[in-house]
Amino acid sequence: MASLHGPSQFRPRQAYTDPLLSPPPPPPPPGPAPSSPFPATPSYKARPVGPRYSQSRGKPHPPGGIKLHKGEWKLLLLVCAVAVVVRFWRLGWPDSVIFDEVHFGKFASKYVKSQYYVDVHPPLAKLLITFAAFVSGYDGNFDSKISESALYEHVPYVAMRSLPATLGVLLVPITYLTLRALDCRADTALLGSLFITFENGLLTQSRLILLDSPLLFFTALTIFFWVGFANENRAAPFTHSWWVWLTCVGLSLGAVVSCKWVGLFTIATIGLCTIRQLWVLLGDTRVSIALWIRHFLARALCLIAVPATFYMAMFELHFLILSNSGDGDGFMSAEFQHTLNGKKMADTYADVGVGSKIVMRHWNTNGGFLHSHDHSYPGGSKRASLPFSSPHANRTRRTTNHPYPHLDVNNGWRILNATWDNHSPGYDWETEPFRALADGDMIKLQHIAISKMLHSHDIRPPVSEVDFQNEVSGYGFTGFSGDANDYWVVEIAEGDRRDRASSKRVRTLRTLFKLKHALTGCYLFSHKVKLPDWGYEQQEVTCNKNAVRANSLWFIELSEHNKLPATSPKVNYRKPGFLSKFLELQQVMWTTNAGFTERHAFDCRPNTWPILRRGINFWVKDHRQIYLLGNPVVWYLSTLAVALYFFARGMLILRAKRGYKDFNNSGLVFYDNLCSFLVLGWALHYAPFFLMARQLFLHHYFPALWFAVLLSAAVYDMATSKLKPRYRVQVALVLVGLAVWTYSHFNPLVYGSVWTRGKCESSKWLKTLDFACGDFYPNVSLCQPSARRLS
Amino acid sequence: MAEESTRRRNVSSSSYGNSKKEEGFVYDDQSASQDDADGKGLSAKHAKFLPRGQQHVRPRRLPPPSTLTEFIQQNWEWIPPVIYTLLAAFTRYYQIGKSNVVVWDEAHFGKFGSHYLKRDFYFDVHPPLGKMLVGLAGLLSGYDGSFEFKSGEAYPSHVPYTAMRVILATFGVGMVPIGWFTAVELGFSQRACHLVTLMVLCDCAWATISRFILLDSMLLFFTFTTVFGLTKFHNQQWRSFSFEWWFWLAFTGVSIGCVDSVKWVGFFVTALVGLYTIEDLWEKFGDLQMPIRIYLRHWAARILCLIITPFMVYLASFKIHFLILNHSGPGDAQMSSLFQANLRGNDFSQNPLEVAYGSKITLKNMGWGGGLLHSHPHSYPTGSQQQQVTCYHYKDDNNHWLVMPRWDEKEYDPNGDLRFLQDGDTVRLIHASTGRNMHSHPLPAPITKLNNEVSCYGNATVGDHQDHWAVEVVDDLNMGSKDKVHRIHSLTTRLRLKHVAQGCYLRAANAILPQWGWKQVEVSCVKENNPRDAHTYWNVESHWNDRLPRGEVKLYRSPFFRDFWHLNVAMMTSNNALIPDPDKEDILASTPYQWPWLNVGLRMCGWGDQQIKYYLLGNPIVWWSGTASLLLSLVALGVYLLRMQRRYNDFEPGQWDHVLYVGKVALIGWFLHYFPFLAMGRVTYIHHYLPALWFSVLMTGHLLDHFIFKSKRLSERTKWTVFIFCALAVIETFLWFRGIVFGIEGPIQDYKGLLWRKSWNIY
Repeated sequence: MASLHGPSQFRPRQAYTDPLLSPPPPPPPPGPAPSSPFPATPSYKARPVGPRYSQSRGKPHPPGGIKLHKGEWKLLLLVCAVAVVVRFWRLGWPDSVIFDEVHFGKFASKYVKSQYYVDVHPPLAKLLITFAAFVSGYDGNFDSKISESALYEHVPYVAMRSLPATLGVLLVPITYLTLRALDCRADTALLGSLFITFENGLLTQSRLILLDSPLLFFTALTIFFWVGFANENRAAPFTHSWWVWLTCVGLSLGAVVSCKWVGLFTIATIGLCTIRQLWVLLGDTRVSIALWIRHFLARALCLIAVPATFYMAMFELHFLILSNSGDGDGFMSAEFQHTLNGKKMADTYADVGVGSKIVMRHWNTNGGFLHSHDHSYPGGSKRASLPFSSPHANRTRRTTNHPYPHLDVNNGWRILNATWDNHSPGYDWETEPFRALADGDMIKLQHIAISKMLHSHDIRPPVSEVDFQNEVSGYGFTGFSGDANDYWVVEIAEGDRRDRASSKRVRTLRTLFKLKHALTGCYLFSHKVKLPDWGYEQQEVTCNKNAVRANSLWFIELSEHNKLPATSPKVNYRKPGFLSKFLELQQVMWTTNAGFTERHAFDCRPNTWPILRRGINFWVKDHRQIYLLGNPVVWYLSTLAVALYFFARGMLILRAKRGYKDFNNSGLVFYDNLCSFLVLGWALHYAPFFLMARQLFLHHYFPALWFAVLLSAAVYDMATSKLKPRYRVQVALVLVGLAVWTYSHFNPLVYGSVWTRGKCESSKWLKTLDFACGDFYPNVSLCQPSARRLS
Repeated sequence: MAEESTRRRNVSSSSYGNSKKEEGFVYDDQSASQDDADGKGLSAKHAKFLPRGQQHVRPRRLPPPSTLTEFIQQNWEWIPPVIYTLLAAFTRYYQIGKSNVVVWDEAHFGKFGSHYLKRDFYFDVHPPLGKMLVGLAGLLSGYDGSFEFKSGEAYPSHVPYTAMRVILATFGVGMVPIGWFTAVELGFSQRACHLVTLMVLCDCAWATISRFILLDSMLLFFTFTTVFGLTKFHNQQWRSFSFEWWFWLAFTGVSIGCVDSVKWVGFFVTALVGLYTIEDLWEKFGDLQMPIRIYLRHWAARILCLIITPFMVYLASFKIHFLILNHSGPGDAQMSSLFQANLRGNDFSQNPLEVAYGSKITLKNMGWGGGLLHSHPHSYPTGSQQQQVTCYHYKDDNNHWLVMPRWDEKEYDPNGDLRFLQDGDTVRLIHASTGRNMHSHPLPAPITKLNNEVSCYGNATVGDHQDHWAVEVVDDLNMGSKDKVHRIHSLTTRLRLKHVAQGCYLRAANAILPQWGWKQVEVSCVKENNPRDAHTYWNVESHWNDRLPRGEVKLYRSPFFRDFWHLNVAMMTSNNALIPDPDKEDILASTPYQWPWLNVGLRMCGWGDQQIKYYLLGNPIVWWSGTASLLLSLVALGVYLLRMQRRYNDFEPGQWDHVLYVGKVALIGWFLHYFPFLAMGRVTYIHHYLPALWFSVLMTGHLLDHFIFKSKRLSERTKWTVFIFCALAVIETFLWFRGIVFGIEGPIQDYKGLLWRKSWNIY
């Protein structure tokens, strides 16, 4: 164990690793480097007082990056081996779908079958999982109706699980190296990495097909690269290896944000550190402005352009793979859907006139079709003395399994002339020449299948029963031409810039228009409100007197007219480029994500995370359970470390204000910088969750937890810095021993293995922890029969 | 004090306080007069950073003026504010009664004023001070409170609306001189003071909003006085604990109390004072020369003047509110049952005291903003599809419930022995008008899906054990803790209803049902037993039982603090519920993003040709220059910080601190008054920006001062040119838009050239 803590107790630090900032590059020494007046300082107290970033300590600068002692590599290998055992132990059990595996399994099969889907997370982690499945021969036949806790059949789920598990294993050496790069001692790094190894929560999460393990891996990787870069920057900027470290930070940042948007917090962490680095550099008047700008541009290139490109490349890959229509179509705009195989539409006539047969779509809510079918509203107009079955107008909802629109006769409408009394004389489209539909024309819309007119009247709609909304229905019968409530005025809202005519008359696909009800002045309107069962959960269509603009815009997707010659101009959707597809998807992801506000049985708010108030029940079956729960020793030590930091830092600030010169102690400055960096990471990965209204779970704390665990290691480093190596190792061993003991105590909840009710009951140190003890057998002997599935 | 008076302290660094620039410094003004040299050094060396008022070292005793010229010379500094006040009186009072209809929100605030005159209890989202002043204005002008204030209706002859408007517009007049003195206290140059005051005088929005029966003129006035108090206090910092120091600290405190009691928007300016105080105390904490005792005195003074005083003012306004409004009125239902019992015209105090089987009762939820347990013959469209049970805020026969024995007990006999309801009894609650039993079952409630649904089911003969509810007493407001409660008293006993079969508790929180539930409050059964959840507490509100004696009002006392707290929470709840309908285009509403650029105006009344039309729109020059200077200030701050980091020295000693102090007041003040509206979910209007505008005007003055009027490089001639240009621009724009302030008669098309932006809906 002697190799754990370096050559001597008072191992001189080469330079204080300050990941937040780097000192200015040393001025070129005008001769032999001046030897430090304080050579080989034996302890912190005797360190030179004054300049925070002394350039030389009597030895030449280290080359930057990280430096490990020779023996440490073996040690690291040993830790990795332990991690492999812990992560991969019986990875195939349970052989059923656990918790959110159901989603990610489905997404993998969507990738394999190229079916378009929409998810709130960016694609990288899912692509990695799919890749793991694909190389082990997955054919994508994961049944889309499969539910949680069902058994896997013909799915290489072990291969899929081994990807997060591998990344979970890699987290351990990265933790070790990060701590070493932060200039902590080897025993500290060992403690930190073992804490991560035996953290039950991270462990549980990395054994299942979930996104958190890739996310955590890339977060840690980014921080590791950043610390390495900061070391390099202190040694000598603009060297080859400096560029390599910086580019690695950028790529890794791109990867973390391509796993989950939580990666934005990592970007914020690195961003703040970069800003501070540049700020300090600016204060160094020896650095010329030109050199400073070079520093700035290098960082802008590698930390902004590189991650952004990486992120977009992931989406490009995503679009390339998902080339076919699938169940995610409904989230996307009509133009977007048109790019998918199976949703392509033939060209249609550009001109629309009185007498045209059309299919009309709503603009804002992803282009639902104006639809009607032969079923009447149960309330509303039935009471309003419409004595017979009146079809109601409503829109197809995305999940309604409709054939493509022009095949569904219920989406077809015919434009008829609506002139009465004093208006322009009646126009018969069947005999007279074609007349294009222009702004201000008054029309009727006749449903082709049922030949009733689109109608509105002063009756509240079935769902949105508010005074500014009117019901819209289909009305009329043979021999009755309808009344003035069928009249609608076309108001062109917006034409296409590249098609001048489209702002003067209605052109298919190019003109956005509103339909104003002639008598009541309300506008044909639709919004994301669904009709109840009797309306087949389709979207409600109403007539709104104070309509918001976006929801009252419509366009025509298909048009046909007998009078139009076959040679007349045709149009089709404009194919959106990558950028507009990318931006549209980002927006859809954002709104979907923000819409997850409903309570979940196992959600919990951020304030309960650091105290580990409750976990998540992943799986219960056959008197076994998998429950996401942290290792209380590791977890509470990390929380304690954070609390200690805030207390100590608060005291230091108060003392500094009262004139105490604590910060002249360079040892304190070292630990202050180290801990501040880790706490910054912790806070930026934790605090933003308080602002989120969506449902949150314990696993959202994991990136912050990683920082907190590192912080607890750093606190250990500081607390034991004055101990003799022997005692130091003893303290570390006690802590690791405690962590391993609690790990092994709770491991049945991780591996889904045999546990007894008594042990379970006695393990609830908080009554809010809700693992289901009632499901376990009272003693082990009873469990044997059902253990046959273990293999 | 004698010992301390001789002490000096060295002020090494501080970001506040032009008064701290001097090398030596004394603790009270008693010694300031003793130490003449110090005082002189101060004024000589740092006069240019001192506010204008202190630059004049006037002789102590002037002979009384004998001629008018002498009088004017002696009072020269009072001339501009007096003139501006007279001008302000013109812009605020001119043709104030021209429109004889109820304009815009006069419909609300006029009505609330009437309630004070009629003494009917009403409920509103704003604290009472402003509306009480409206009531006072009505009282002073001889209004009897009988008018309904329907929007757009003409005032009948007996409503002295002009007098009421004049009284309230006086607050708007007061803004102008306060604006002047604030600029003076902030150390602006003469020219900047004039410009800032002109902007206050000539802003169309400030002028227009002051001319009607609204709360905004009061809110603005008290916001102005608070900022004024703060700047005045800041300039007394060099003589801590002197009379002036105490006076202006207390003045600020009272002003905070007033502004908070008019509208809660006042909390933003309170936050500004709070931040100033925190920084001030932090700097004093770092002052090693200051004895701890003095430091604690500083704390105590601020707690007394800036926390306790405003709170007392706020409390007092509510106390007076409750004292005046002692009759039952439209706002009763928002208050606790006990409070209502003490209103005249309310029959709760006639309730029989103890509830018995067979009583007809209404049950009121005791959570904040809780309503009455309600059911109606409409069923849930989801879940069980049984009859809805909701919480409803108004009195209605559908709130009546009958207390009946369990199914397995003997049926209630109206002629049998009286049996009083006791803690732990299990009962059935029958909805009086439909005869159904309140019921719950393990189906998810429509909104709060983790809870069980509560419905009404069955009838007098059909039912099951899921209709059984156990009464659990929490405590009694008069009798005290649970052990002392033997029978359920109406109004005062707090109880919970536990569903016997499922073990869940009847709860109504602030979840609103969709339109099918008439937007009433959802009632559900919560599985988690949280004995401190007030949303599971209920009390018997109305109680009818012919077989029991009537109660008396003395049995039902309601403590003031409980009512005060209850009303404040109810206001908060209602305020948060003012959420815009996403499907409705509200042409009056606007988003905060539109305000700084003056993208929107607001039609305050009907727009017919015959009507007199007012349009709430800022003076574009004032608004745009304010926004531009806020942006410029950020740029300037960034540039100065970067230059400082590069070790450039741009400022004379002390100058930076003063520039930063004024900039902080303006920028942070603006930010505090603007940003919260972005974060709020509620519907917002352009007049919400008016308090923030004051800080942007201050920033305009500050930047003009910093870059032009106090610049050493520019000539006097340039400074005059800039000044005259700015002043003319402000005045001319006001004159151009005077129509929308004083009221436009005749067709709007006759007034050309007002549409400076397409988004204004003037025409």
